[in-house]
This record gives sequence, structure tokens and C-alpha cells, in this order.
Amino acid sequence: MNLAIEEVSKRYRGGVLALSRFSLGLKPGVLGLLGPNGAGKTTLMSILATITKATDGRVLWNGIDIARDPDVLRSVLGYLPQDFGVYPNLNAVEFLEYLAAVKGLDAAASRRRIQELLELVNLTDVRKRPLGGFSGGMKQRVGIAQALLNDPQLLIVDEPTAGLDPEERVRFRNLLSDLSGERIVILSTHIVSDVEATATDIAIIEKGTLVAHATPESLLLQVEGRVWECVVSSAELNKAKQEFLISSTTRRSDGVHVRILGDLPPEGARAVAPNLEDAYLYCISHHRAGVRHEACIGTGA
Amino acid sequence: MMRGRVLYQMVRADFLERVRRYSFLLTMAFSLYLGYAVYSGQLVLRLDEYRGVDNSAWLGSVIGLVGSVWLTLIGFYIVKNSIQRDRQTRVGQILAGTPISKGFYTFSKTLSNFAVLAVMVGVLALASVAIQLFHRPSQPINLYALLSPVLIFGLSALVVTAALAILFESLPVLRGGVGNILYVFFWIFLLASGANNIAKGDSNGGLRPFADYTGIDSVMSQMQSQVHKLDPQYNNGASFSIGSLHPTSKTFLWTGLTWTPALVLSRAMLFAVAVALSLLAALFFDRFDPARAGWFKQKQPRIILKAEVRNIALAPSPGSPAAETIADLSRMHSPAPHLTPLLRADLRTASRSSVRLRFIPLVRAEFLLSMRGHAWWWYTVAAGLFIACLASPLDAARSGVIVGAWLWPALIWSQMGTREEQYSTGTLIFSAPRAVPRQLLATYTAGVLVAAITGGGLGLHLLFVRNFEGLAAWAAGAIFIPALALALGVITGSRKFFEALYTAWWYVGPLHHIRNLDFMGTTAASSTSGAFAAAAVLLVLSAYGWRKTKLANA
Repeated sequence: MNLAIEEVSKRYRGGVLALSRFSLGLKPGVLGLLGPNGAGKTTLMSILATITKATDGRVLWNGIDIARDPDVLRSVLGYLPQDFGVYPNLNAVEFLEYLAAVKGLDAAASRRRIQELLELVNLTDVRKRPLGGFSGGMKQRVGIAQALLNDPQLLIVDEPTAGLDPEERVRFRNLLSDLSGERIVILSTHIVSDVEATATDIAIIEKGTLVAHATPESLLLQVEGRVWECVVSSAELNKAKQEFLISSTTRRSDGVHVRILGDLPPEGARAVAPNLEDAYLYCISHHRAGVRHEACIGTGA
Repeated sequence: MMRGRVLYQMVRADFLERVRRYSFLLTMAFSLYLGYAVYSGQLVLRLDEYRGVDNSAWLGSVIGLVGSVWLTLIGFYIVKNSIQRDRQTRVGQILAGTPISKGFYTFSKTLSNFAVLAVMVGVLALASVAIQLFHRPSQPINLYALLSPVLIFGLSALVVTAALAILFESLPVLRGGVGNILYVFFWIFLLASGANNIAKGDSNGGLRPFADYTGIDSVMSQMQSQVHKLDPQYNNGASFSIGSLHPTSKTFLWTGLTWTPALVLSRAMLFAVAVALSLLAALFFDRFDPARAGWFKQKQPRIILKAEVRNIALAPSPGSPAAETIADLSRMHSPAPHLTPLLRADLRTASRSSVRLRFIPLVRAEFLLSMRGHAWWWYTVAAGLFIACLASPLDAARSGVIVGAWLWPALIWSQMGTREEQYSTGTLIFSAPRAVPRQLLATYTAGVLVAAITGGGLGLHLLFVRNFEGLAAWAAGAIFIPALALALGVITGSRKFFEALYTAWWYVGPLHHIRNLDFMGTTAASSTSGAFAAAAVLLVLSAYGWRKTKLANA
């Protein structure tokens, strides 16, 4: 089972280039796709989900071009788009039965699966309630359930935890980890903690190009010894922001604790263990500066 | 001053949002087409055997009436989405949090509707100049005589249309398909009241902004007077129609409208009517309050979610709901419940025969989807019409009851092909294997089922009496109506175009048993079942082609 993205570009009407010669190879596991807003994540997801066609390049599922034969992938695809709707007059069971029919699933098997999925996403109690009365988070959980209806080999989830409360977010992260065994999961998000908890691979994308593709460990390793923490006063904070690349600030009784990314330690700073957010910011900032750093070379996981 | 700037910005933003859409180009194209229809003789104004000499006054009056008559119908559906857009884009929620009053909002929306319609009138005015210059170069151009009827009748009629669209959008019961269908009847009623006066030739020239809101009565009555002077035998016959079976044989010199004070005041009063309608709309406008938005819908029981219980649980006692929620929390970190794996071979190598078999569940799902969301009385009326078709004398059932039975499900058919866009489910559906042909055909089949069931009383009746000609006409209707709905839905992405066209067509064709337009085959004389069956096939193929192309170019 493999998914190969080969030199894929996408140019929208009006000339906006959303993806530029993007290449990536994927095998079973969870790929966390990270990038700032407008980086091209959703465009890539749409192409992989056969919703949008690439302008150039190709995507191969087990060696077959999905632009030529999309049904080969569609029959094993689970897709949770960033924005989707539901039919307000149907309840959760009816809506999932409808989508199971659209996906061509056997009625008896899909009924059993729907019950299990509703339990999985914690909607069993409200399964007979019209979807029109669901909150945003509940609709999102219906979306997660529909993506898993056909036991997909390729699961694409675009900003899946948007609208979920913290408990449901944790639940979903656990679910993704459990599901990742024998399938390819692509998790697109800008929430680094979601990726940190689940991803076996990370791809960082900016302005439609691949900035990095590596395991979380190797990304962290590359930024090891480049993360510093110091305490500054509130008055000094602005100056620090201008001088250094800051990944986070925390206000405490002794002042503002600032995490700084850099090759050399600022005066009075101590080295701290990096986290994925530090690695992500480091890669993005170096990419923007045009610096091709070791940590951010697309070496493949 | 400040309010003026706010009003300007609101109207401007709404106007720009609309004119920067591709659909706006279509509306402009429609305006141009109306001009072309006059030029090519598809829209004909005649007074028995007479028509005017092709001068600026005649051309201006004809195009002025085209604008005020047709744009009041089509224009309504073009602009009746102003508040809905704010609701869908959620801009409305932002506006609701500002100090803008409801009256101010509905008034600004009326103005932006009017601005869009005014552009259409402007295009029509330019078309009239072009026609005069290129088609009748021998006649000297008189811009006042040419443009004044176009601008005055067009703008004064359309300002009311703009306000009516806002009123319909503000009233929950008229916001959707019911309003779309009722407006056609309202428009027909207004036209008919003006037409009655024309036929009698008794226009009194007084203030009649409501009875003659398109202006057709005022124009025709002055034309009738001129023809009377020329031909005392003239019997006040007049028509303004699509096409003409018999060409006019005589011409008269139409010197242009006399803008009497009563006529000018009547047109000016329409602006006041529009302001009043927009303020009336404010009374019903829900200010994007979701609690009020669905007040007419079935009340849904509130279910306390476990997540909410978690938030209020402080000291749970054993066995209490709160304790249960804590157990829930611990489950949250436990492995996910077991999911029964589906057979991979079953998913990947589904044979063609199994796919065919699975088409039936999809049709069932589409049918259930289309039938959901109606109140009990909807089904009661449908059942009553079914029984009436079966129990009435055949002639009455075929020429009368079926016409009602197949108008009743219009709002079900109008959702065909638009549901995926309306509810943003397209990405979920079209990422499924062979989704485009399967789902489209299933939607269509469900639509045919709706027609077969709601009009089934007549179908059975015709079968019992072995009237196979009638049965063929009935079957053609049953496959044509959903095909029309599907094609219009897929191509326009909106349900309102089918609702408007179907209602108007229903009124002209089946209700009046007009041959070639009677898609229900309500009489043996008016029935053209073969043509409508062929049209159904073409429409379904067009829908398929359009959707496939659209998705391929996404």
C-alpha cells in the first residue's frame, strides 16, 4: 500500500499557484501535514481525495494514476473535508446510511458499522435526533464517522479537531493512533499538538512547496540545542521579539518566560528541550529566509 | 451624514458581492436576450391587426414593457437571495452585533436589490439604442421617446420587485420554495388585472400604482386611443405575447407616451410602496437570530449531552449520571471501541452486478431524503389528491386533479441536483466511487418515483380503463418533470429557477391544455408525450454532462 505524489502543481483560475511541484511518498502510518494558513494543505487534500485535479504532476495509488482512474482510490478512501454540510432533516443514522449507499456499501454490513461508529464518536445517545439541531462539534463527529464508513485504507482528515471540545479532541487523537496500523492517514492541521500526539511522519508545507518531510524525532533532533529560554520584563518583551525568533511566551510572577529559537544562546538564556512547535517554527522561518537548513531538508522519513 | 455613509457602504458591499459572481453575467445576458427577443420578433406587442411603425417611441414602449413585465418575474428570483447570502456567509451574524436597526438593514437590502435590477434595466436601455441604430437605421433616433419608457416603467416596477424579494425573504413561510411558487401566482394575478382593463378598453387614466404596476395598462390604453382614431372599427383587442401565430398586417404611427400627471404620480408612488414594503419586511426579519429563524419548524427535543453533564458534575454519587460521565472520561483514554472490518475484496472489486444491486439502496436513500422534512398535512393532501385522481371521472382526473397532484410535490423536485450545493455535502458524496452517474441517476429515479406515487391515482385509473394513450402521456409527464428539475438544479445550482419556471409553465401549459406546452398530457388534443419523453432523456443527459464537466474542472 503506497501513495506517491509526484511533482504535483495546482494553479487556480486567476493564476494563483496553490501547489508547486509538490512531491511526497507515503506508506502506512499517520502523516501530520503542517503549514500556515493558505499554505496549500487543503488544495493537496482535495487533490488526494480526487475532488480537485492537479494542473501538473500525478498522484499514484499503488502505482495507479488517480486522475485517470479515481474509483480505484475512492473505493478505499475516507475523507473528512475541512468544510462540509449535513442534511438537517435526517438523523445521524439516516445520514450515514445515505452515505454508505453512495459509497456502494452492503446494507447489512453498513448498518452494523454505523452503530459501532456512532459509539466510537460518542453520538449513540443522539443518533435519532435531526442533524439540523446538532452543534458544530457534533456535526464534526458525524463527519469523522462518515469518513470511517468504508474502513478506508487511505484516510484524509482536514482540520478534523476544529470545533471539538478538548475531551473530544483527545478522544479523536487516540482514535487516529489506533486506526493508523494498516492504513495511510493524512492529518492536515495547523494545531501542532494534534500532530505531536498522533503523527508518525510530519510534512511541513508553505506556499505550496514541501519544506520538510521527516519523523517527529528527526525534526526535534535537528533543532536540539537551538531552543533557549530566558526571563525578561514586560518592557523588554517587544525588544526581544524584534531581535529573536520567539516560539512562545508565558507570563509568570518573575517575569515573562520566553522561548527563543537560534543557533546561539541569547545572554542569560538556558538551553531547553525542544518541542514540535519549536521545530515547526524553525523550519518555516528558515524557509522564509531562504536558508536551506539541515533540519528542513525534505529527506524523507 | 453618518447613516448615509453606512447605507452607502452596505449597499455597495452587497452590490459588489453580487456583480462579481459569474451568475451576474448570466443576468446581463438575459437582459440582452430580452432586447434580442424584441428585435427578432419573439416578443410581440400587437393591437389586433396593428403594430406600431418602428420608430423610437414604439421601440421604447415595447422594450419598456418587456422590462417591466418580464424583469418583475425573472428579476425577483435573481435578487431573492440577499438576506440568505448574509445568513449563509455568516456575515449576517456580524451585522446583527452592530447598532444597525432591522428597518435600516431591510431598506439597504432593498436598495442593493434595486441596484442589481437597475443595471439590468440599463442593459436593456442600451440594447434598445443598439436595436434602433442597427436594425432600423432609416428611422431617426429620439432618445427621450426611446429611453423614457424603458427607464421609467422598468425602474418603478423593479423597485417594488426589489422590496417584495426582501419581504419574502423576511417571512419564514415565504422564504423558501413556497414563496417562489406563490410569487408566480402573484405576478400572474397582477398581469391579469391589468389585462382585464386592456380588454375592456376602460382605463380611466387615474392613479393606479397597484392595478398597473408593470405599466402595461397605461401604455396599451394610450395606444388603443391612437388606433381608435385611425380605425373606429378597432375593438380594443391587444396582446403582448411570446411569438405570434398571425403576423400583423397594418401599422400605425405611435408618437409616444403622454406622461400625464396621474401616470407620473402612479409610477412615483411605486417608490413609496417599495419603501413601505421594505419597512414591513423589518417587522418579520429575525435579525439572524437562530432561535427565531426556525420558529415555524417542528420543535426539537433538547437532549442533555454528556459533555454538558460533565461540566456541571461537582461531587458525583455512585451510580449518578455524573459518575457515569467520569467513567466516560476514563473511557476516553482507553482504546477505541472495536470496529468490524469490512471485507476488502468486497470494497475494491465490487462487480458490476453488485454495483447494480446497490443502486437500489441508493435510490431508496435518495427517495427517503427527498421525502423528509414535510409536515403530516403535506402527506394528507398528497394522499387526498391520489384518491381524487383514482375516484374522479377520468376526464376530470386527467384534465384537472392531476394538475394539482403534480404541482404539490414541486418543492421536492426543486431540490434535485441542488441539495449537494445547498447543504455542502458535495465533497462527501463525490469522493465516493462512481458517484456522479450513480448518485445522479438515483436522484432522478427517486424523482420519478415521487411523480409516479403522487400522480399514481391517475396512472392506475388510466390502466384500469385501458386508456394507453393517456397512460403514455402520464408516463411522459412522470419522467419529464423530474428531468427538468434535475437539469435546472444541476446547471443553476439553485432550486428557485425550477420553482419559478415549473409554476409558470404549469400555469400556461397543463392548466390551459396548450398543445406542445402541456407536459402532463391533460387532454388527448394537447398531449405530445413522445416529445416530452425525448426531452426528459436529453435533460438527464445534460445534467450528467454538466455535473461531470463541472467536477472535472473543479
